[in-house]
Amino acid sequence: MTNPWLPVPVRVDRITIENEARDLKTFELSFVNDADRKAFSFIPGQFGFISLSGVGEAPFGIASAPHEERVRYTVKKAGVFTAALHEIDEGAVVGMRGPYGNWYPFDLMKGRDVVIVSGGFSFTTLRSTIVHMLGPELRKDFGRLTVIYGARSPGELMYKDELRAWEKSPDIELTLCVDCLDGECWPLTEGLVPNVLKQLAPDSGNAVALVCGPPIMIRFTHPVLKELGFPPDRVFLSLENRMKCGIGKCGRCNIGEKYVCKDGPVFSYEQLLSLPADY
Amino acid sequence: MTARLLPKKDLPGFIAALAKKQEVWAPVRIQSQEAARFSRIDRPEDICLDYLNTKLPVKELFFPQREVMFTFNPGERSSAQASAQVRERVVLGVRPCDAAALELFDKVFVDESKTASPLAESKTAGPLADPYYKERRDKTTLIGLACNAPGQACFCTATDGGPHSTRGLDLLLIDLGDRFLARPVTAKGEALAKGLARAKDKDISLADELAEEARATMDFAIELKQLQKSLDKAFDHEVWHRLSLPCVNCGVCTYVCPACHCFDVTDEEYKDSGARIRTWDSCQFSLFTRHASGHNPRPDGMSRMRNRTLHKFCYFPKTQDKVLCVGCGRCITECPAGIDLRETLETLRDTLS
Repeated sequence: MTNPWLPVPVRVDRITIENEARDLKTFELSFVNDADRKAFSFIPGQFGFISLSGVGEAPFGIASAPHEERVRYTVKKAGVFTAALHEIDEGAVVGMRGPYGNWYPFDLMKGRDVVIVSGGFSFTTLRSTIVHMLGPELRKDFGRLTVIYGARSPGELMYKDELRAWEKSPDIELTLCVDCLDGECWPLTEGLVPNVLKQLAPDSGNAVALVCGPPIMIRFTHPVLKELGFPPDRVFLSLENRMKCGIGKCGRCNIGEKYVCKDGPVFSYEQLLSLPADY
Repeated sequence: MTARLLPKKDLPGFIAALAKKQEVWAPVRIQSQEAARFSRIDRPEDICLDYLNTKLPVKELFFPQREVMFTFNPGERSSAQASAQVRERVVLGVRPCDAAALELFDKVFVDESKTASPLAESKTAGPLADPYYKERRDKTTLIGLACNAPGQACFCTATDGGPHSTRGLDLLLIDLGDRFLARPVTAKGEALAKGLARAKDKDISLADELAEEARATMDFAIELKQLQKSLDKAFDHEVWHRLSLPCVNCGVCTYVCPACHCFDVTDEEYKDSGARIRTWDSCQFSLFTRHASGHNPRPDGMSRMRNRTLHKFCYFPKTQDKVLCVGCGRCITECPAGIDLRETLETLRDTLS
């Protein structure tokens, strides 16, 4: 019987500082053992635990796409574990277990337009989703891909090289917005994500919306999506809750009878409406 | 399966025979606390069978309060080695409520159900069973001890159990005075009792009478299916504020609960050894759900008390079709604020109906 608690060793091949505040780092990991690499398969939206023996472990959404060579996570320095992770150097070997949870509804998205709305550093699993959809074989399966991604300031936008490339790509309609332009002007829009979404008004007729961001952004995004005609069963959110196991046992990530780790992290807005507001 | 008889004078010999093949665990009196606790038995005379119930439920033998999940070498960020595992054992003297709780634990720890996608795609997210719990469970045979005299706080008859219930057990012993009636429940239990004499009809009817008498002393009854339905719509009801007023969120109800399974995972490191540890945790503590960002979905005592009640009597039954409570009454006897779960449930029933 496999032991889900045992992390497998992964090497930190590359670390990228993603933002001006320098509290967001992307860790690109490769498996030390070939067998572990072969056993690891995931769908965008899922998450994994990074483990530092002696410090602990914590869950993070997977930011890489399945076809990419390395598994990557972008981690904000926020607590004891993430502070220790930010101290790690390239070449270090750490632990990882997963993947856990469910994923974005790619079956439903097939043949439809996809609208991605995201703010702040929760963009990670949506980066995974976008890279996955832009993949050579998959792009034709979906209709228009509209992405609105916002941050407080230009310096806080992650994955800048990719963003610049996507801006030029015919396969994706990208709108980057910041609360304050700060003097920069590369195709950036000044404004809050929900307002920009409202102005852009993507067609909801045959579209699925994926939303990920801080609670305040989500609260103001929902009314806009509703106004644009997105039904609750075509709006999906990825939630985060404190968790220790990732496999529905430690008891702390529940919202009503659902566990974010096992029944989520991706929920339809329709599902959330039927659950107690306990998140 | 055939009921058998175990004369009390033969109990030491019966235990000694068991101990030849496996470890034997049973309640032992803790003098300082006037309580009994499950301990490894070396001498049959140490066993205490005149207890109402053990202070801590038998869950601690399957899900220890502190458990080393694996060890690692300090300084190495990734190395990990699974820790040593348990031996075959018999646990004797388990009360029916505690055994029933293990059935509920099985649903949590041995669940290998698939991860649910928002669209029910079919892909497994890997094995979800907990290997530590499962191994302990697989290697344990449970011999229960029926309750002829339930306590003041007991209410197992309201939670799908009973003082002579065999739920979760392999073999049930019923005290008939100078002898036990041994009722096998599983093949494992039948094998243990094989060498004993067959019980006579009058022994069996005496046991049935005792079961009826014990049951008759327990008068708390509540329609839990109905309550679950009302609770499902009661998240925002003001009754929770009233109910949680006396609660000090000390968490003792969760620690002594045979069905509470929540835990924390932490690392401990010493000079030359390190370990990842699992410890019992409580949903009554504010840190239980607090995010690294500082946001806390359950920031106050009311929301935590509400979650515990809803988890046991609404959320868990919704997914597993059983309440996450076996009516052992420990939370009632141990609560420093005098909260009686039976009264809580009655208040909820009366307020929400």
